[in-house]
Amino acid sequence: MADNVTLTIDGKQVSAAPGMLLVDAAEIANIEIPVFCSHPKLDPVGCCRMCMVEIEGPRGSRLMTACTTPVAEGMVVHTNTPQVAEVQEANLGFILLNHPLDCPICDKGGECPLQDQTMRFGPGISQLVEPKRLKQKNYDISDMIVLDQERCVLCWRCIRYLEEWEDKPQLGLHNRGNETVIDIQDGQPVDAKTSGNIIDICPVGALTNQISRFAYRPWEVERTASVCNHCSVGCNIRVDTRTHTVRRIIGRENMQVNDQWICDKGRFAHAWVNGENRLETPLLRKNGELVPVQWSEALDFIAEKLQAVKQQHGASAIGAIGSAKIGNESNYALQRLFRSVIGTNNIDHRDGADVAGLATGLPSLAGVMKPQYGPNPQVDTIFLFGIDPSEELPILDLHLKRAVKKGGAKLIIAHPRKIELTRYNGPYLAYEPGTEATLLNGLLRAAAGQKEGLNSTAVSHLADVKKWTEEADDRALADLCRTDPAAVKAAAAMLAKSEKALIIYGPQAARGSDGPAIRDGLANLAFLTGHQDRLAFVGLEANSQGARDMGVLPDRLPGHASIGSSDAVKRLEHLWECKLPTAAGQSYKQMLDGGVKALYVMGADPASERPEWAEKLDGLDLLVVQELYLTETAKRADVVLPALGWSETDATFTNLERRVQRAPKAVALPQSRAAADWAILSHLAQKLGAKWHFADAKALEAEIGKAAPIYRGLTWEALGDQGLQWDASALKSKPELKEVRQKMAKGSKEYPLTLVTGTVLFDGGTLFGATEKLDGVTVGPVVGLSPADATKLGLTEGAAVAVSSPEGSLSLTVHISEQVQPGSAWIPESLPGAPVGALLNGSVVQRVKVEKAA
Amino acid sequence: MALGDYIKGAIDIGKAMGVTLKHLAEKPVTTEYPRDSVPMYPRFRGKHELRRYANGMERCIGCMLCEAACPTGAIYVEADENDPLNPTSPGERYAKVYEVNLLRCVFCGDCEEACPVEAIVLGHDFAMANYERKDFVLTKEQLLNPGEPNVIIRPE
Repeated sequence: MADNVTLTIDGKQVSAAPGMLLVDAAEIANIEIPVFCSHPKLDPVGCCRMCMVEIEGPRGSRLMTACTTPVAEGMVVHTNTPQVAEVQEANLGFILLNHPLDCPICDKGGECPLQDQTMRFGPGISQLVEPKRLKQKNYDISDMIVLDQERCVLCWRCIRYLEEWEDKPQLGLHNRGNETVIDIQDGQPVDAKTSGNIIDICPVGALTNQISRFAYRPWEVERTASVCNHCSVGCNIRVDTRTHTVRRIIGRENMQVNDQWICDKGRFAHAWVNGENRLETPLLRKNGELVPVQWSEALDFIAEKLQAVKQQHGASAIGAIGSAKIGNESNYALQRLFRSVIGTNNIDHRDGADVAGLATGLPSLAGVMKPQYGPNPQVDTIFLFGIDPSEELPILDLHLKRAVKKGGAKLIIAHPRKIELTRYNGPYLAYEPGTEATLLNGLLRAAAGQKEGLNSTAVSHLADVKKWTEEADDRALADLCRTDPAAVKAAAAMLAKSEKALIIYGPQAARGSDGPAIRDGLANLAFLTGHQDRLAFVGLEANSQGARDMGVLPDRLPGHASIGSSDAVKRLEHLWECKLPTAAGQSYKQMLDGGVKALYVMGADPASERPEWAEKLDGLDLLVVQELYLTETAKRADVVLPALGWSETDATFTNLERRVQRAPKAVALPQSRAAADWAILSHLAQKLGAKWHFADAKALEAEIGKAAPIYRGLTWEALGDQGLQWDASALKSKPELKEVRQKMAKGSKEYPLTLVTGTVLFDGGTLFGATEKLDGVTVGPVVGLSPADATKLGLTEGAAVAVSSPEGSLSLTVHISEQVQPGSAWIPESLPGAPVGALLNGSVVQRVKVEKAA
Repeated sequence: MALGDYIKGAIDIGKAMGVTLKHLAEKPVTTEYPRDSVPMYPRFRGKHELRRYANGMERCIGCMLCEAACPTGAIYVEADENDPLNPTSPGERYAKVYEVNLLRCVFCGDCEEACPVEAIVLGHDFAMANYERKDFVLTKEQLLNPGEPNVIIRPE
C-alpha cells in the first residue's frame, strides 16, 4: 500500500490515503463540507454542487467539488472563504427555488440535511417571485415508498443505490432542465428487496416511508440500538419508539455485518410487535375452553402435570421445542430446564436436528463484503448450494452482488430454481430435489479429474474418490439430477482453481434423512478442492446459530458439545447441580410425529406447518405453548403462556457468522401481563423444585459463558452495540473424505412434477402478515410452474388449480416463472392459508400433480 | 368622660357615614360573575382552541411542532394521512389525536407561536375548574368546539 499523502485543509495538516476523496479527508480532520449527492457508500457524481471548496493551484485558487476531487500531496484547501460561502449560499438558493418548503407535513422534518444546511449556509430569503414548479406529490413508487417529486433535489442517491448495490436500475431521471424528475421506469414499481434504504439516504423528504408515514417525528421518538430478527444476517437497526409502540425501524451502521443497509422486511414489517391480538394473560383449558387464569395457577398446573407424566411414562415422554426466533437466554433456559430439572434430551427446534448443519456458520460476513472496499478480496469464488439469498437473506444477497460486481468474485449456484443471482453468469447447476448427493458426487468426480488446485492431503485418496463417484457420471447427472454436465465440470474447475472459495449451504438443501449425506458430500468437495475452512451452513432464522450454540438440539449440549462428551457433562453437572440424561433425545419431527406424551412449545407453530401434526398435538397428555399470539398450536394447548417478544425484553441473538448481538428492550406493554420467555421458564423451574435465581437476562448470559466455553466473556456489556464473534477455531474438526450414497426416490407417472419448496421474503408468516399495509406485496397462495410445463398442462397465469401429492392436496393459483425448472412445481413455505406441509407430510422430497380446479 | 369626646365621636361617625353615602350613589366596580361576563384584555391567554378554515376544514395539520415547543409536555399529537377524497385538513397530513392536558399547561402560548398554520390558539375562556382529573385533558373534539369561540389572532 502506498504511503499516505499530506494536505492542508483550512490550515490543518491532514494525512489521508491516496485516492481518498477530499470530502472524506475533511471528515477525518473534523471539517464540515456540506453535501447532498455525495455519500460515503456510493460512487461520486458531483451533481449537487454543494461541496465547492477553494483549492490553491499554480494559477491561483479555484473552486472545485470536494466530493469528486481526490487528495494530492501538498494540496492546500479552503472551505470557509467568503467565495466558498457565496457559492454555497447561491447554490442553496437555487436548490430551494422550487422546493415546496412543506416541512411541517414532511416526515423528514427535523432530520433533514436540506433543513440543516439551509439554516447554516443558506441565503435566508428567496428571490423567486414566480409561482413554484408543480410536480407529483404523494406518489407511490412501491407499496412501501412514497415519492414527492417537488421536494427532490436531484442528487441521484436513490438511483445510484439501486444501480450500485441492488444492480436493479428501477429509478431514473426523466425529462430535461427545469422539468427533470425522478421516476420509476415504465410504470413498474420498485421491487428491489432492499429498496427501503433509499429512504435513509435521501437527503430531503422526497422519499418517505409509507408504512411509518406520519407516525413519528424524529425529535419525539426514543431510539434503541438493536438487531433485526427477521433473518440470520442480524442486521443492525435502530428501533424508534413512542408511547410503547414501534414507530419505525431504520438501518444502523455495522461494517462487519450489514454496512448500513437493511432489507424491506426488516424495515417495514414491524406491526407484529404491537399487534392487536397479542396474548396478555395466561390461559388454561377448563372444560374444553381456554380461560384466563393467574400466573401461579397456570404454572402450578404445568408443574403438577409434568411431574405426573414423568412418573407415569418417564422423562423421555416429555419433550420441548425451542425457537430460532427467540434469543439465546430463553433457549438456554429451556434446554437447561428440560435437561437438568426434567431429565430428558428431547429438545429441538425447527430446522434443528432434522437438518444436517455445521457448528460454525460463515467464516465472516466482512469476508464477503471486503472485496468491494479493497484490492485483496478474502474470497474469490462463492458457491451457493440450495440457498437463495435474494429471498432468504437479502443483505447477504446485497453483499454477494457487490462482491461480484466490484470485487470480481465468481458465483456458482446450485439450486432447484434458477434464482435471481444466476444472472451473474456463473455456472448454474439445476437439480431435482432428492438428488443433491448425486450432484455432489458428480462435482467431486469432476474435481478429482482436475490437474491442479487440489488439497495435497486429500489427493492421496483420489483413487477411492473416483471409485465412489463412478456412478455419478454425465448421464446420471443429466438424467437423474437434470443438471447440465458441462456446468458441473465448469464449477468443479472453478472451485479447484480458486484460491479461496466460500461454500454456503442452507437448511433447504440438507433436510431429512439425506441431510448427513449432503453435508458430507459438500465436505468432501470442500476438502478435495482445498476450501474445507470455508464451508458454511447458514440457518435462516434470526437465532438459528444461537439456538444450536445453546444446545437446543437432542444430541448437543450448550457450546456444541456432544451429549457423550465427559468434559462438558462434568462441567454442566457441576454448574447445574444435577445428573444429566445420557440417552440422545428425539428430534423436532420425531417429537411431533408422536414420540412424546407431553410437549412444551416455546415460540413455534408446528400445527400450521402440517395438518397431521395438528391432530397429533390434540392427542397429547399435556401441551404447553409459550407464544405471542394465539397460533394454531396455541389453540390446541392445555396451557398458553403469554410471552414477551423481540424488543420487548433484553435478549442476545447470534447471527450466521457467530456474531452475538444485543437486542434490548425498546417498548413496554403496560397493560399486558406477559413475561419474558426465560422468566417464565425460571418460575416454572422453581415450581418444579429447582433453585433458579435469574434476576435478568444478563444473569443468564453470565451463566451461558460458564456453560458454553465458546461464549466465555460475551456478556451484555462486552458485546457493545456492534456485537462480538465467538471464536470457531476450537470447534474445527479434521477434514476427511467420506463415501456418500443417496437412495433415489422413484418418480411415478401419476405425479409428474417434483415439489420444490423454500422460503420467500414476503410470506404469510406471523411476523410479516401482521403489517397490513404490506398485504399488496405478500406472496399469495401460488404454485410456480415453468413456462414449458404450464403450456403442456394448458394453464395460464392466475389459473386456479388443485395441486396434489400422495399425502394431500392444496388449492392454489398458477404463477408462471422462468425461475422454475421444467419438471418441478414451486410452492413456498408459510403462504397465507396454504401449508405446503400438507403435500409433504413428513417427507422432504415429494412428487405432485397439478390439475385445473373443478 | 367629657362632653367634647361625645361631640368628636359624633363628627367622626358622620364623616364615615358621609363616605358610605357617597359610595352608595356610585356605580359598583365588581361584576356579577357568572351572570355578567368579564371584560378580557385582548391578549389574554386562556383555554386552548383549535381553529377551522372558513370552509369548515381543520387548520391543524398534525405537524407536532406545538408538542415540541411545549415546555411542560402538555400537548400530545398523533398524525395520520388524510383520505384524499374526504380530507380533514388541507394537504396530506392531519391530526388524528390532539390532546391538551390543562393540569400541565402553564398558558405560556409557545404552542401558538410554533404553529405554522395558526390552528392552536389560546382563547379567552378561563373557567376551567372540573371535578375529575381526566376531564382536564382536552380532546380534539373539545378543542374544535369551544363553548363560545372568541378567538383573536395575536399580531406577533
